[in-house]
Amino acid sequence: MLRILFFAGLAICAGTVEAAMSRGFNRLLEAVVRIDVREVAFADGAKRFSAGVGSGVILSKDGIVLTNAHVVSPRAVEISITLANLERVSARLVGWDHWTDLAVLRLDLDEIRKRGLSFSPAEFADEPAFPGQTVYAVGTPYGLTRTITRGIISNNDRYFEDSRGVQGYETGAFNTWLQTDAAINPGNSGGPLVTEKGKVVGINSRAYLGAENLGFAIPSGVARRVVERLTEEGRIVRSYIGIVPGVLQDLEKFYALATNTGMLINSVDPGSPAARAGLRPGDVLLSIDGRKVDGRFPEQLPPIQNIIASLPVGSTVKLGLKRGAQMLEISVVTETLESRVGEEWAFEKWGLSVRKVSRAYARENQLDDENGMLVIGVQSGYPAANARLARGDIIVKVGGKTLEKLDTLRALYEAYQAKPEPLLTEVQRNHRLSLCILKP
Amino acid sequence: MKQFRCLLFCLSTAIIFARATELPALFQERLKSVAAVEFIVEMEIDRRLASVVGTVIDDNGTIILPSGPIQPSVAPSQLKDFKIYRPNSAEAFHAVYLGQDALTGWHFVRAEEKLRGQFVPITRYRARRGDPDLGEKMWGIGLRNKEEEFAPYLMAAHVGIVQNLPQRTAIAGSDLAAPGLPVFTMEGEFAGLALNSFGQNFLMFSRHQRSEPIMLVNVEESSAFLLADEVLPCLQRVPQNVNGRPIAWCGVYGLQSMEPDVARFLQLENQSGVVVSDIAEGSPAGKAGLRERDIVLAIDGHPLPRLKPDRIIAGYFGREILRRRPGDTLALTVLRGNERIEIRVTLEDEPKLVREAERKYFDQLGFAVREFLYDDSIENRVRPVESTGLIVHFVKPNSPAASAGLQPGDWVREIDGQEINAYATAVAQLAGIGADRSRKEFVLLVSRGGETSVLRVQLN
Repeated sequence: MLRILFFAGLAICAGTVEAAMSRGFNRLLEAVVRIDVREVAFADGAKRFSAGVGSGVILSKDGIVLTNAHVVSPRAVEISITLANLERVSARLVGWDHWTDLAVLRLDLDEIRKRGLSFSPAEFADEPAFPGQTVYAVGTPYGLTRTITRGIISNNDRYFEDSRGVQGYETGAFNTWLQTDAAINPGNSGGPLVTEKGKVVGINSRAYLGAENLGFAIPSGVARRVVERLTEEGRIVRSYIGIVPGVLQDLEKFYALATNTGMLINSVDPGSPAARAGLRPGDVLLSIDGRKVDGRFPEQLPPIQNIIASLPVGSTVKLGLKRGAQMLEISVVTETLESRVGEEWAFEKWGLSVRKVSRAYARENQLDDENGMLVIGVQSGYPAANARLARGDIIVKVGGKTLEKLDTLRALYEAYQAKPEPLLTEVQRNHRLSLCILKP
Repeated sequence: MKQFRCLLFCLSTAIIFARATELPALFQERLKSVAAVEFIVEMEIDRRLASVVGTVIDDNGTIILPSGPIQPSVAPSQLKDFKIYRPNSAEAFHAVYLGQDALTGWHFVRAEEKLRGQFVPITRYRARRGDPDLGEKMWGIGLRNKEEEFAPYLMAAHVGIVQNLPQRTAIAGSDLAAPGLPVFTMEGEFAGLALNSFGQNFLMFSRHQRSEPIMLVNVEESSAFLLADEVLPCLQRVPQNVNGRPIAWCGVYGLQSMEPDVARFLQLENQSGVVVSDIAEGSPAGKAGLRERDIVLAIDGHPLPRLKPDRIIAGYFGREILRRRPGDTLALTVLRGNERIEIRVTLEDEPKLVREAERKYFDQLGFAVREFLYDDSIENRVRPVESTGLIVHFVKPNSPAASAGLQPGDWVREIDGQEINAYATAVAQLAGIGADRSRKEFVLLVSRGGETSVLRVQLN
């Protein structure tokens, strides 16, 4: 029995050796990097620094590195990359996109030139991954540099939306994921999922904790487009109309629909372009600008949402709808898609961390407008805590000034630092207004 | 000196001796003013037995019960089989439910005629007027449970503090009566009515954790009591109908107290104010021109008092409204920006409450609905005039509705794609669905926390 196991083990090793021996795979190994990040967080009323480790893959001669948005975000203050030859170089963030959980970094080429270092880029696979395909995950799980694990593509069209998945930001609404049984552990994030020839088919990004071999990667097709846009523009702008889709699965009969058509509109964000144009929950979306849509199953929803998201902001989109027996066509003008998570800052002398109330947050929480700062942390013994401010409160006005922007509060803070004087503060807690005094 | 001390000693034993002879007799006598009350709360799919103690307030056998045991969402029609037990007795007498008073929160029940003669209302005794002295000894009654035939027991304690919460309340050093039962002086004067007890902080030690703070609330005994001066004027408030109507209503919501810091900043020394968060459209306050962010400083010229803790000022304001009657006019002094203005609000009868809402349970479908009320529009932050629908009141576990993900509190907007315009037609539609055995499914559009969702309910 023991012997059989041993042989089986040997056979697997033989397969791995074969792949690892391929020139392409060796080149790929040269392109995989370890990423050490120091980032700032604004929790608990102070700036706090923390360190993390992830993986990445070099994609071009000019030093573009692709990783996960949850590995390197705009909160990163120091990014250090360990190349395959164990040399460390610094890098900067070019852009990030939490919706696809991808971030693009650029290596410090001057430093590389000066120190005479070399690296080689990886290549994306030409074909999309298919179920059953043998794949390898390469990365730095738990800090174990250049770990290779092997598995297959378990599913190449997995729906995995998470409204707080990337450091509290939304993710997965516009793409589906590759699912693999190649072992993916913390630290694998941002590393590539590759073919036997070393071609990148996905970027490893997450796994179910406590489950066995349920890992998820962003498909290379999505990654390729995101890298292009982030490299060129530093960010990705998407369109938003404010509909929340639902699956039609089993409801076709109720809505008297032909098979394979339509996407249910489960909810319409109040005040959104769709709401203003008269869309209603329970409407069935049949077409977008004449293109028929089919949203019966969860994995069909991201591509449909992506059609709308990919439109230029401010463009008019014609939606074909079914409402009861009625067929409608409604035109909606798109606006810029915003995250629920606004800009964050810590005002340390007040012991107060805040996040700008975003339009999306205001809609989600039925606020009258998007003015104000959400309290995300206070430090006890400091003015904010003494004024009984607490996490979840929304500071609407300070010193008679409505907080439309974070800069308004920054200016008030600077004036306070120069000359500490009590400030009348208007706070909203669960839609209830109260007053407090920020004072030294 | 020695002699003096001895004298003091003799004197105190003499007093204790004197009291000891009187107190058991007083205790036996005062037991005629208390009763245990049992009733059944009939829910959609089950019945729950509830038990509470109360105090007799008049010669008609009227008994007041504390508000705790009856949830505000329970309709009077769901309260059944009121029974009254005397201390030390298993004999049950019938009673009728009279309703709840909005100001005090008390529920009123009335005992059947043959029992009335055995009661002595607390109004029959002399009342202790004014504040009790600090350290004054008081006593009260507790009742054991039904298995022990509501055996009465005596508790006694010394008054430690008297406070405005916002009503005049005394707190003794230890428990002295069951919540809802009277408290007496050593001479047998009626001193007040025991309130629900306050939470007490303890540290809990266990084998694994060193210590953990916990709060304990004694539901059977209390050390706090409302003074007789607060109780006696309210004994007239026997509800005229089972819904306790009329209920004075002003229509301001989310009142927040003002911290002393803020009062000082606004140069309002030694007084308080309440910040108005929400004015319901079409409400008396709305019609009178009260606005969000206004700070109410005075009612009918009387400045709002400084109370501790500050937050109880919102309760004070609420009581000031409820003390009045619909049609009464209230003059509010309001700080708006830097300006002081006066606003006259004419109170109205409060819109229908949850306990008054029409409701219907559909056993086939597995859920109960009720009318969409004015309060629901406040809760859901929508304009009262524009809003219709049903509120899910109850979902039966493992029923078709539960499997579809329906939850209590959901706001049903559409049934089978048809918008709900009136309660009666919507209920008829649901009844039709329930009665139709050939039906395989129906579809609801529900709203929950501002987001809507289409739910498909599969029928068995």
